[in-house]
Amino acid sequence: MLEMRHIRKSFYGVKVLDDVSINLYPGETLALLGENGAGKSTLIKILNGDYSRDAGDVILDGVPVHFAEPRDAEGAGIRMIYQELHYAPELSVTENLLLGRLPHRQGVLGWMIDWNAAREQAREALKLLNVNIDPMTKMRDLSVVEREIIEIVKALSRKARIIVMDEPTAALTPPEVQQLFGIIRDLCKQGIGIIYISHRLDEVFQIAQRVTVLRDGKHVDTRPIAEMTHKALVHMMVGRDIEERAEVRKGTAAIQLGDRLLEVQGLGKTGAFEDISFQVRAGEIVALFGLLGAGHNILTQTIFGVEKADSGSVHIGGHPVQVASPQDAKRAGIGFVPLDRKVNGLVLGMSVRKNITLSNWTTLAPFGIFRPKKEMHNTRNWVDKLGIRMAGGIETHTRYLSGGNQQKVVLARWLEANVRVLLLNEPTWGVDVGARSDIYDQLEALAAQGLAILIVSSDIEEVLTVSHRILTIYKGHLTGEFMQSEATQEKLLHAAAGGTL
Amino acid sequence: MQNTATAAQSKGVIPKIGRWLRGERLTTLNLFVSFIIICIIFASQSEFFLTLENFANIGRTLGVVSIVSIGMTLVLITGGVDISVGSVAALSGVVASILWLNFGVPLFLATLIGLLACTVVGFLNGYMIAIVKINPLITTLASFSIVRGLAFVLSNGQTNQLNDEAFKFLGRGEIGGIPVSLILLIVLYIVFFVVMHFTNFGRNLYAIGGSADASRLAGIPVRRHLLIVYTLSAFLAGLGGIIIASQLASSAPRAATGLEFTVIAAVVLGGTSLSGGKGSLIGTLVGVFILRVLDNGLVQTRVSSFYQDVISGAVLLLAVGFDQIRLKLTSTFGGKQ
Repeated sequence: MLEMRHIRKSFYGVKVLDDVSINLYPGETLALLGENGAGKSTLIKILNGDYSRDAGDVILDGVPVHFAEPRDAEGAGIRMIYQELHYAPELSVTENLLLGRLPHRQGVLGWMIDWNAAREQAREALKLLNVNIDPMTKMRDLSVVEREIIEIVKALSRKARIIVMDEPTAALTPPEVQQLFGIIRDLCKQGIGIIYISHRLDEVFQIAQRVTVLRDGKHVDTRPIAEMTHKALVHMMVGRDIEERAEVRKGTAAIQLGDRLLEVQGLGKTGAFEDISFQVRAGEIVALFGLLGAGHNILTQTIFGVEKADSGSVHIGGHPVQVASPQDAKRAGIGFVPLDRKVNGLVLGMSVRKNITLSNWTTLAPFGIFRPKKEMHNTRNWVDKLGIRMAGGIETHTRYLSGGNQQKVVLARWLEANVRVLLLNEPTWGVDVGARSDIYDQLEALAAQGLAILIVSSDIEEVLTVSHRILTIYKGHLTGEFMQSEATQEKLLHAAAGGTL
Repeated sequence: MQNTATAAQSKGVIPKIGRWLRGERLTTLNLFVSFIIICIIFASQSEFFLTLENFANIGRTLGVVSIVSIGMTLVLITGGVDISVGSVAALSGVVASILWLNFGVPLFLATLIGLLACTVVGFLNGYMIAIVKINPLITTLASFSIVRGLAFVLSNGQTNQLNDEAFKFLGRGEIGGIPVSLILLIVLYIVFFVVMHFTNFGRNLYAIGGSADASRLAGIPVRRHLLIVYTLSAFLAGLGGIIIASQLASSAPRAATGLEFTVIAAVVLGGTSLSGGKGSLIGTLVGVFILRVLDNGLVQTRVSSFYQDVISGAVLLLAVGFDQIRLKLTSTFGGKQ
């Protein structure tokens, strides 16, 4: 039904897509895989009419087409559902669904909106997917998955035949992911073709029939998913083998643990979490695993002084510390890699160098004035050590870095500030497989150097892969503690869903 | 792939155009070119325009606007705005003259107290913006009105003579043929240039304007920085007010009316972004210079003063409009991948 043949595209003379072809059959889910920068989004944007192509054909139902604008693609029945949804939060579901084509009354009152008809149309549209959402709810009050469903409904109600989903599950909990998958299967039964982009390989195995892998702008292969294994897919994406970390770890000798660096006692915050006590020792990586909204993200923010605790205390290196602000936390030797690196982690319009040295003016700028040579030297040091890759050197604005490299910059900042305790919130969200592996390597190396590391994560594979010890949290209470050797997916999910042991 | 990108980026014409359009340098270059064009037009209309004497005149008028523009540049870089500078400038002169004339306070001390009053206003602005978290536009719009009103209340609406030789020296005096206010502004620009480019304070201001959230989470005391910036802005506005009073040898509650427009226009013309995180003092200085040359040239060529405001506004619109066109062209010639 859709074919993109021999697509080429260059920016600034750099080949971003080099002879890439994909095809999509009706009623099929095609997974599009590749690391960040492999050319997935460029390909999708060409399909959508956002970018023009340098060469190649887009063929829809056997007819070559040319989309100059996203509107043209929409007219041909192609819809994008982006990771960041675009909607008006204060408007109702009805208004969002019918935006730009709300029905009007008849006759003299023709300039007024016919709300009854609008509601009816919205209900009709929601029936397409058999979802139970009141069309008069405000978008703001819906859960993330419900918003995504509304987006899909919107696509369907405008006669979409091909839906492209870009990391639709990034912000979803496991049950919500299953709900979304149910809907995707329904769509396929209705003959709609889906192009599904994700970094989570296990999802791809669940939902896709075929998979196309891109690497460095080139088409690596397209295969039925049934023929593939996890390992083979990773190999195709990265171009080399990524060792199975958890397996390697289990074989190595016990890690060296030092003093209790971070100790949390009876920490509580009304409405978020209650009576949380745990400790992280030097050299240890502890993961705090919970489903979204379990309170773990707010917990690290509280330790870092972004939020205020109502009760309990935090000790660093055996001494109680009062952390009322991020400055206090920094002074106490705590570093924090926040959830959303683009909003909270980086100053996107600033260079890599300045972002890395942003927190370390005590040594780099002793009397308030930066020492340029030392700053350059230290920055280069971290860029080499962490393998931060960017086109154009350390003066490149962080906006132009890939997700994994951006995360490394945030990490480098805290290492530069010489912290002893590192808190990381979902450190590998939206980070591709290769960079993810790099980050895990770094975290292990840092722990080996005596840092205490606490990772907050909703990604069970990550938790099992990288941590020495795992705590589970459910509705603001700690519900379990597992050594890595004894942890399994079932046990963790059980505990994180509130089950008792 | 990123490594190959570096090598490939240096070749080809289109990438070059793309990079050139993206470059920060263009804003300054664009300013420079428009400056030359303006000069050519005026020079063809008025023989006096391109004389050393005339440019010395222009130099004398730079003082107030360029000094107040320093504070405004800092404020805009943090992503805020300060509308109250004109009112604050009037306040310093009024306070100084009242204290001197009505209470017999020595003029030097009275001037310092006038500056202090402005600094307090700036601190309150900063407090409302950083701590109470009222939008900067609203906060300074309120103090714009309050402070102007105060200046009228304190002076009873009267213009006061400030006939004191030492006082007049600041605005009218010369050292070695160079106006004192020009020397003052050069010193201030050097100091603040160093602050903005080589100190962590300056860098933090750019960071805060780029992303206040990220700055806070990087351990930067954001509120303290904002407090300082608004205080500085008002202090410099007060200093500008003193210079005006010194130049006119009098203080008036309606002094420096519309100063905020000129200052914001100059700063924006100089390439500082209203959304924060981007801007430079050099650009600001060039912006001030252009506006002043424009004013001067319009007077030289005997354009009606009514038209001068129209033209100033149009130039601002053109300059900012060009910047937007530049951004559009940037994405045409290869945007972000």
